[in-house]
Amino acid sequence: MSQSTKTRRRFHLGPLEFLAIGAVVLVVLQPRLVVLFDQPALQTASTVFVAIIVQALPFLVLGVLMSAAIAAFVPRAFWQRALPSNPILAVPVAGAAGIVLPGCECASVPVAGSLMARGVTPAAALAFLLSAPAINPIVLVSTFVAFPGEPEMVVARLIASFGTAVIVGWLWLRFGRPGWLRIPQRMHVEGSTPWHTFRLTASHDFLHAGGFLVIGGLAAAAMNVAMPTEWMEALASNPLLAILAMAVLAVLLSICSEADAFVAASFTSFSLTARLTFLVVGPMIDLKLMSMQAGIFGRAFAVRFAPATFVTAILVSSIVGWWLLS
Amino acid sequence: MTREVQAIVLLLVGIATLRISWGTTYLNYVKESMRPWLLVSGAVLVVLGGLLLVDALRGGREPANNDSDEDEEGHDHGGPRAAWLLLLPVLAIFLIAPPALGAYSAARDSTNSVKSDPSLGPLPPGDPVPVYLSDYVTRAVWDEGRSLVGRNVSLMGFVLSQPDGSWLLARLQLACCAADAFASKVRPVNLTAQALSLPEGTWVTLTGRWIPSPDESTEMSIPLIDVSSTRVIEPPVNPYD
Repeated sequence: MSQSTKTRRRFHLGPLEFLAIGAVVLVVLQPRLVVLFDQPALQTASTVFVAIIVQALPFLVLGVLMSAAIAAFVPRAFWQRALPSNPILAVPVAGAAGIVLPGCECASVPVAGSLMARGVTPAAALAFLLSAPAINPIVLVSTFVAFPGEPEMVVARLIASFGTAVIVGWLWLRFGRPGWLRIPQRMHVEGSTPWHTFRLTASHDFLHAGGFLVIGGLAAAAMNVAMPTEWMEALASNPLLAILAMAVLAVLLSICSEADAFVAASFTSFSLTARLTFLVVGPMIDLKLMSMQAGIFGRAFAVRFAPATFVTAILVSSIVGWWLLS
Repeated sequence: MTREVQAIVLLLVGIATLRISWGTTYLNYVKESMRPWLLVSGAVLVVLGGLLLVDALRGGREPANNDSDEDEEGHDHGGPRAAWLLLLPVLAIFLIAPPALGAYSAARDSTNSVKSDPSLGPLPPGDPVPVYLSDYVTRAVWDEGRSLVGRNVSLMGFVLSQPDGSWLLARLQLACCAADAFASKVRPVNLTAQALSLPEGTWVTLTGRWIPSPDESTEMSIPLIDVSSTRVIEPPVNPYD
């Protein structure tokens, strides 16, 4: 406690004063700012940026409330009983749990973090992290609606996403080192009552994950304006390049899994397998997710987990696409 | 980040969310169906921020907990420090108020319509019958205009200037939010000289009849409309189709 007061005294300008002064300066400069943004590309980028944040916000709020509820109200012992003690089995079980729990990818990052803090094997929590946004009922229904006359797309998405989640979970079990992963410690936001813990955790998680959502939103908005549309059409004509291009695009566009099926459907020049890759990669790894994962689990984790997931997702969707969609 | 500042950031994000979803501004960014969710999450954030502020003002019953958390994560340049970034969307909403997407985005989108189910029903009654621009494009390109033959239609959209001095009528549609907007475009024929000189971005209603296009139907085809009247209108509340 004494340490914290020391830290605070070291600042001459406290964050609160900074906030107040900043607000005044910005209000004074506002007309100039508006002129600065009075340019089509910047305006479009700022609209896209705000749109991504606004669209993701309710899902993020839902996610942090869910993860705070897990932290505050579900007893620790529950997870030990609910999941098989053998980690090799716990991975597919946790992956399958993603089917029942609706959540988008912004929500699943904090939820997976609180599962780990509650003693769930990291590999199983990671399988859940990957599968929950990809194969929940809302996402499957929207895929069905977005691909009329192609119900096998729904099956392919389910199988490929679940497969990728389980394989990455097992990979982590086999090759992952504990030092790479920073397990979020919940003990620090323990309140005086479960309800108090709940709201402290929710506030903390929202601020934390929200900050990283903003970084992802900025990157995606920049991409949206900077990428020439002609590139995509050239890529679509080559089957292998098409798959890679859709995978990269899924990462760059950072679309919520509830909506990505409609976007995938609109890339009509690309093969169904390429579009399946888009649907499998997108909910698991994209700019905003990488940023959120780095924030919650540490950078050492993100630089290993993201490429492993990316490659596995591409391989699994190519195989499933070749099997079901050709 | 102290608890007071955390509380203020939560409150600001909550208030900004409520502010855009209370009126119609949110329609520039997301679909109408998001509104209840935005109102609820804005309210949740305001309540969380408010309670945290009360905690902070009362001196905080367990300040040590929160601060040790900050120490643990602060060295990683992550942690609650990232929460400062949440002020960016708040600033964007209150200071810049990014407008709805328009001509710039429409010009970048070369795909005009996705090949879809040809089993489109007949148009509803009406003379002229108002038709969504995207619906008109689908009917004209993928149903060979069958359901449009002999009908007087009215289309709403904005002017998208072309390099040759003509313009297309365009409107954007959202799959999910403004990050994935895509455009529908129609080429008006027989515009008056006055209509032809409208500046880019002007919202208009065109009334006229479908005429067949000589080109083959592809995802890039831009269907035609033989215009009988052009009326300049106010931008609609929901700018997207």
